[in-house]
Amino acid sequence: MKRTRRSVLKTLGTAGAALAAQPYLGFPAFAQNRPLRVGIIAPKAGIAGTIGECGLRGTQFAVERINAGGGIAGRKVELVVEEETNPKDSIERLRKLVLQDKVDCVQGVVSSGVSLAMGAVAEEMKALLIFWDGTTQDGVKETMPNPHYVFRSTDNECEAVMASLLAIKYWKGKFATIAGINPDYSYGRNNFAAFQALLKKFGIEVKVVAEQWPKVGTLDLTSHVAALKAAKPDLIFSSLLFADLPIFMKTAHGAGLMDGNAKFAFPAAGFQHTLLKKEFTPEGMVFGHNTLYFDVANPTPLQKSFVQEYEAKYKDYPNWEADRAYFAMEVYKAGVEAAYKAKNAWPSIDDVIGAMEGVKVQSLGGPGQMRKDHIAEQTFYQGLTTHKNRFDFATLGQVEKMYSDQLQKPAGVDFWKWIETAQIKL
Amino acid sequence: MTSFFDVLIGGVFHACVLFLVAAGLQLVFGVQRIVNLACGSFYALGAYFGITAVNWAGAHGAPPWAFLPVLLLAGVLLAVIGPLIELLLRTVYKRDEAFQLLLTFALVLMFQDVLRFFWGANPQQLGNLSMTYGKVTLGEVSFPTYNVLVMAASLAIAVVLGLFLQRTRYGRILRATAENREMSEALGADVRWIYTTVFTLGTLLGTLGGALVVPTAAASLDMPVELVVEAFAVVVIGGLGSMRGALVGALIVGLTRAAAISFYAELEVLAIYVIVIVILVLRPAGLFGKPIE
Repeated sequence: MKRTRRSVLKTLGTAGAALAAQPYLGFPAFAQNRPLRVGIIAPKAGIAGTIGECGLRGTQFAVERINAGGGIAGRKVELVVEEETNPKDSIERLRKLVLQDKVDCVQGVVSSGVSLAMGAVAEEMKALLIFWDGTTQDGVKETMPNPHYVFRSTDNECEAVMASLLAIKYWKGKFATIAGINPDYSYGRNNFAAFQALLKKFGIEVKVVAEQWPKVGTLDLTSHVAALKAAKPDLIFSSLLFADLPIFMKTAHGAGLMDGNAKFAFPAAGFQHTLLKKEFTPEGMVFGHNTLYFDVANPTPLQKSFVQEYEAKYKDYPNWEADRAYFAMEVYKAGVEAAYKAKNAWPSIDDVIGAMEGVKVQSLGGPGQMRKDHIAEQTFYQGLTTHKNRFDFATLGQVEKMYSDQLQKPAGVDFWKWIETAQIKL
Repeated sequence: MTSFFDVLIGGVFHACVLFLVAAGLQLVFGVQRIVNLACGSFYALGAYFGITAVNWAGAHGAPPWAFLPVLLLAGVLLAVIGPLIELLLRTVYKRDEAFQLLLTFALVLMFQDVLRFFWGANPQQLGNLSMTYGKVTLGEVSFPTYNVLVMAASLAIAVVLGLFLQRTRYGRILRATAENREMSEALGADVRWIYTTVFTLGTLLGTLGGALVVPTAAASLDMPVELVVEAFAVVVIGGLGSMRGALVGALIVGLTRAAAISFYAELEVLAIYVIVIVILVLRPAGLFGKPIE
């Protein structure tokens, strides 16, 4: 084609008109070409390392599916992974993800200590942040009652509430003395307090004969087990959840703590499920797998394909952190796509936040939703352990399923008041 | 009574583990006058290497009962790092104590990365192997046979070490060198060789301790620092450089911790350090240490 002055002007005019009209077209070329960047902050080392690793695998599974299906509103997803360590360093990594890597959303965090500090910083930076776990609570007290940019997981105490309800349902009238061995931070302390509050609510009078608070990471629990055995409790409640849990079980078995008729309620044992071998993990204990039980009967096609892929790829079985991570990514995807559809243009961060409030998604462990107050609702699984399975570790023989609206306080209500007044069904 | 024995056994078991690490610390300080912070790292190395050795042996058809000899062998083999580290320490023997402390602390940090490099950052465990030898039951008191074997091994090491230092010719040379290095050297003792053997023996106590204990616990990156903190309480109570002090100090720390956990769990650490402070104020050299001149 012959290039004339007129044709050059025409081309420039068309380009200029297109550029001028760009804000009104809704899906600018750069938005559709650049992948959506999602920053992940997860522990990779130490006692929570395996939990973070499992969460990361859940995220990777979600992203592979999303990208294979065309991405989020047409944009592929790209992960930028940073390590969760102490609050100070983890916050620095959040800043790096937002300011330097320019991620569109940050997800992750397992520790409540980190999430408590990070939540406030994310609000200040106006960075969209979806927590996998941990909360923004100081104990059970909400520290961020009206967050705008921060979305968080279900209350940590959901696990304890469900295990307590099951212990009451199965064993009411069969125990008069209780003992606790729980990690020495707010999670362990609140869980044991929640258990006692629920016993009181259901009119069960008990005597606490021993309370053990090993600090996180204690690897010699011989003396703690001896103290529990000496107290001769009818029921032992434990929120141990890290590498110390299998050690406790081995030590307790060796010391004969499990030989008597004592009952056991372990709301967070699912984090270590494959390490809790049949030889030292008793049958008939209340055991929390929480938002993902990998061996549930009649799993959804989604869960089935995830567990199969996980087993083939990692020669292991996932715990509930994989579900929390998958849920976070699905909530983000659903929010972006709903906002995009409503606006018929690439949405702003506020549009996405608005669309995420109240959104319902299908997660690995079952249905879930993000409440309007930015707190997740999910499906929980706990039950009684059995050795009748094809694995070398204990699984659930009797599985109970509850939705978290039965397990956590509604928006704006004090946790202890809620326990006192809630209509909780056993 | 049953409760008393349960608590007692828990305390003695912890004391036995502490003794192995503290004995290595004492031996090295007693002869070489170096406070070796890296003793906790040797303990952690022994634990990690023990897991690898047991897994390797299992993969090559070793029966489960053979894991104890495998662990012992792993602990002994790993002591070969002792002479190598001692070569490095030779550069600071005549320096100020602060240099020696800094160097051994640097070793602690470097070993942490070595562990992370070879075994990863997550805690490692040995499944249910500690139950292979069954349980010992005495009335209502029961405990794993393996724990009894660890306690027996620790006690045997204490006895052999005591006999070696007190009754053998080489032990006398070691004690003489500890008393007066220059005089010992003037009388023909090969001090350089003595330092190498002492440090290797100290390393062996740590690696063997770690390898023996890991089936009942787990190997983690935090092990070295946590254990050294407790080992120092043992050393302060028992007296720096005294083997008898290591044994008595370990028993005091182990039993105090067990009793505190039983009566008021929150006082676990406080109870130990109250004793440490009392000893530091009333008997600064420790129960069996020589008065500081």
